[in-house]
Amino acid sequence: MTIELSRRGFCIGTALVGVQAMSSGAFARTEDGTVKLGLVAPMSGPNARYGAFSLRGAQMAVKEITAAGGIGGRKINILAGDSQGTPVEGVSATRRLIDQDQVDYIIGDVSSSVTLAMQPVAEDAGVLLLNAASSNPKITYKAGVGGFKWTYRNYPTDENRALIVLQYAAEKKGFTKYAVLSVDSDYGRAAIEFTKKYLPRFKSQILTEDYYKEGEVDFRSVLSKIRDSGAQAIIMYGNADSTPIVGRQMMEVGIAGKIPLIGNAEFNTEKTIKAAPKALEGAIEAAAWLPAYDSAKSKAFVEKFTAEFREAPNNHAYVHWETVHLLAKAIEQAQSIDREKVRAALSSIHYASAVGDVTFDDHNQARLPMILLEIENGKPAIKGAYSAEIDYPK
Amino acid sequence: MFYTIIEQVVNGIVSGSVYAIVAVGMTMIFGVLRAINFAHGEYYMLGTFGAWFAIEYFDLPYPVAIVIGVVATAVIAVVVGNIVMQRIVGAPAEAGVLATLGVALILQNTVILVFGGSYKFFSGGYIEPVTLFGFTLAEQRILIIIVGLIVFIGLELMVTYSRIGKAMRAVSQNIECCAVVGIDVRHVALWTFILGAGLAALSGVLTAPVNVSVYGGMGELITFKTLPIIIMGGLGNVRGTFVAAMILGIAESLVATYVGLQFRDTVGFATLMLVLMWRPHGLFSAQARF
Amino acid sequence: MTEIVRDQTVTAAEHKVATGPDLRVPFGLGLAALACVAPLFLGNYPLHAIIIALIFLLPAHGLNLLLGYTGLLSLAQAAFFGIGAYASALLAVHFGTPFYVNFLAAGLITGAIALPLGIPALRLRSTSFVMCTLGFVIIGQAIAKNWISLTRGDMGLAAVPRPYFALGPASFTVSGTVGFYYLVLVIAALATLAVYLIVRSPAGRNMIAIRENETLAESVGIPTWHYKLVVFMISAIFAGLGGSLYAHYLTVVSPLTFQMYYSTTMLIIVLGGGAGTISGVIFGSLLFVGLTEALRVAPELRMIAYGFFLLALVFYFPNGFAPLIGRFWSFLERRK
Repeated sequence: MTIELSRRGFCIGTALVGVQAMSSGAFARTEDGTVKLGLVAPMSGPNARYGAFSLRGAQMAVKEITAAGGIGGRKINILAGDSQGTPVEGVSATRRLIDQDQVDYIIGDVSSSVTLAMQPVAEDAGVLLLNAASSNPKITYKAGVGGFKWTYRNYPTDENRALIVLQYAAEKKGFTKYAVLSVDSDYGRAAIEFTKKYLPRFKSQILTEDYYKEGEVDFRSVLSKIRDSGAQAIIMYGNADSTPIVGRQMMEVGIAGKIPLIGNAEFNTEKTIKAAPKALEGAIEAAAWLPAYDSAKSKAFVEKFTAEFREAPNNHAYVHWETVHLLAKAIEQAQSIDREKVRAALSSIHYASAVGDVTFDDHNQARLPMILLEIENGKPAIKGAYSAEIDYPK
Repeated sequence: MFYTIIEQVVNGIVSGSVYAIVAVGMTMIFGVLRAINFAHGEYYMLGTFGAWFAIEYFDLPYPVAIVIGVVATAVIAVVVGNIVMQRIVGAPAEAGVLATLGVALILQNTVILVFGGSYKFFSGGYIEPVTLFGFTLAEQRILIIIVGLIVFIGLELMVTYSRIGKAMRAVSQNIECCAVVGIDVRHVALWTFILGAGLAALSGVLTAPVNVSVYGGMGELITFKTLPIIIMGGLGNVRGTFVAAMILGIAESLVATYVGLQFRDTVGFATLMLVLMWRPHGLFSAQARF
Repeated sequence: MTEIVRDQTVTAAEHKVATGPDLRVPFGLGLAALACVAPLFLGNYPLHAIIIALIFLLPAHGLNLLLGYTGLLSLAQAAFFGIGAYASALLAVHFGTPFYVNFLAAGLITGAIALPLGIPALRLRSTSFVMCTLGFVIIGQAIAKNWISLTRGDMGLAAVPRPYFALGPASFTVSGTVGFYYLVLVIAALATLAVYLIVRSPAGRNMIAIRENETLAESVGIPTWHYKLVVFMISAIFAGLGGSLYAHYLTVVSPLTFQMYYSTTMLIIVLGGGAGTISGVIFGSLLFVGLTEALRVAPELRMIAYGFFLLALVFYFPNGFAPLIGRFWSFLERRK
């Protein structure tokens, strides 16, 4: 009988949660002018390691805005949706944010596949989708004059990155022979595609080409192969959490300090360098931002984030923090939370980010300065900032 | 050329020893509980987190952290074993799959909830490279190989001579008969599970210094790496599992060198399918349990 | 415990036969009518949730035929779901074929791929078979990632067109949530009917016989090997059709479509609803999607709560929720 009872209770409980969740939307609309912002990111499962930083960055920005009296007096409210890094979950989260929570703006997702699936949903609903961390070039090929009017991206595409890195490596270092070791995702693959496009310009070649799975821990075999291949540098567009592993194993197979890493995978953070100082010496990276970047705004962000969450921010934390502020600026300039007006404001915005001026092109892609750095004596040394127009396929 | 092949075989043995320690726990659990444990990688993760916590928050030396990681995982395994795993004994396979998936979700996401989802850096261990017979390895890897051998010999001795070891073998062969002769099946199942989880945790702590990154979802990959090994080795067969782990380690290493790293994760299942086509019960007959 | 589970399923079936046509017919019709008018009172988000449930219903029906009626535990549904999604998306993107062509082609292609895979796999027993089917998913993902000339690898296929129908000069496109809802509803209803016909046919009885005792089934002359192969293929076709709907609904197909997530989801739907019952699987898919969406109220606790739900399911409802529905009927009958 006790089992019977608990079973019934369990069923009723489940049903109640369901009814509650389905019906709560009817009352969600508030007319007090609160800005409702949705954030879609992976928050559970293996991909949570990327989503966690996004949410924290965005939450911190919201806190700051609230402390400063809101956006022109309006409060800002952030609602999180878990995508698990899976398109179908991401779309469900987006739908919920739009229809149930009645958000006007959505920031998300980290994974490009999820963002691509969110685009038509946001477009149909006329909700602003501001992406801050997906690098698949298709996202903005299809945005703005390309089709999706409501998609914006405040994150660099990989085309500029690939060019800048290759140019610096060829002209300043005189490298011509490369090994590829990138992450097996649209990010890693696309960056190498773009690199290949520019290889002939610098009379360079790729000797070996390997892609590692997200979460891979064993690089010894491939690093031994690279050591014997005669490559002068390893082109790596990868995930931040894999870089220290690669670094340590480079030390093991004896190529640390001989074959540098070039590309982008958070080579510059203090922790990464500390994990394998010898391997990361001489690494060349093109980054949208780095914790060591020397500007007052950036320094203040790093300090505040570290104090608040007991760990240093990474790139995802920064871009989400900056994107919330960017959106707040657009709303402020529009002097309205009317989506259409905010969208117009965003298209013509001049926003002073921690790394420089941000504007959007006609594909709703942010023009962002790319910082080039080299690790010298265990510290990132900034070698310049580059910005270029994107060459959209006709 | 020849040197390259030898070196890649050595690399394979190094990764094979890690797989071996994780897989041997899983295969013993299978032998006794007859359940595919989709949560096995989570114990690997828990062990790593336990040690990371000890080092990061209490500044304890690495050897102490190993003990803490394994003991903490064993304690969690006692809870999970009592509440969940004991009940799966004799249940249909699909019930085992769902229950262990549930356990995996709970463990993984609880860790994310408590420690935050972001990745952490593991700073303990012996990472200086040393050269041995012309091959350079991190000291930690030598430790892993040695511990792998000790675990193997220890398990062999245990299942051959100790009472609980003999009971484990008996239960894996015939549950009903064990009940008849007075072996407490649930008790044996629980201890096997704790031992298996503890071994997974041990391999997690041992590999943490070379794998550096620690995050809540790290166990999933380990689970999927281990599954083909235990099938190839013959479910419940300790010796077979060791050999299968080495074969997989070497095969992966050679594929990563001569085909491409992107194909590495398919090696396990591809080899498994080939093996199964040739020998449907795995390389080593499942009859020779333990 | 295996035996107990199965006995009860049989009893439930017998129970149905004994009571004959009763309240279930009007109730079923009422539910169908409710489904037809649902867009009138449901918002886009609940409709979206139901669409996902109905898309998942197809592979779940397939798995139910395999697991619930033939007794084979397979984790390959994600692989066939992915193949169907890619087949449909590639046709639509490269050739601009109408939806029904893509949809049927997805089913056929998936079935054609499943057949040669099933021949070696079905020779394996229990755990080895499960692992082999899991291997299909892992290898499928690797192919999707690396056969770049066909699949565009990790870049995925974006902008898969919304379903459009062309009959002679006339054509129309299903766009918007409501339109898609009706499309999926019709397809799901047809799929359910197909499963019902299979199960009720003599073939369905033979499948149950294989599930209950394969050796015995073989001894009474049932060609068990052919049955298992055909059922494996049919279950793959269902998964492929579901994948096609997925591709046209989400408009993006990437190697992420080959994910264990889909295999375990289908398993949860079938076992949660009740393996070996059709109504159970329909209920299971709605319950599953309803639950995961409901748990969004607490994003951080969502997957933990889901894990506990799975444990509760296994230990308190080992037969899924189907027996509960059965009890609901007898409860109503007693009151009558």
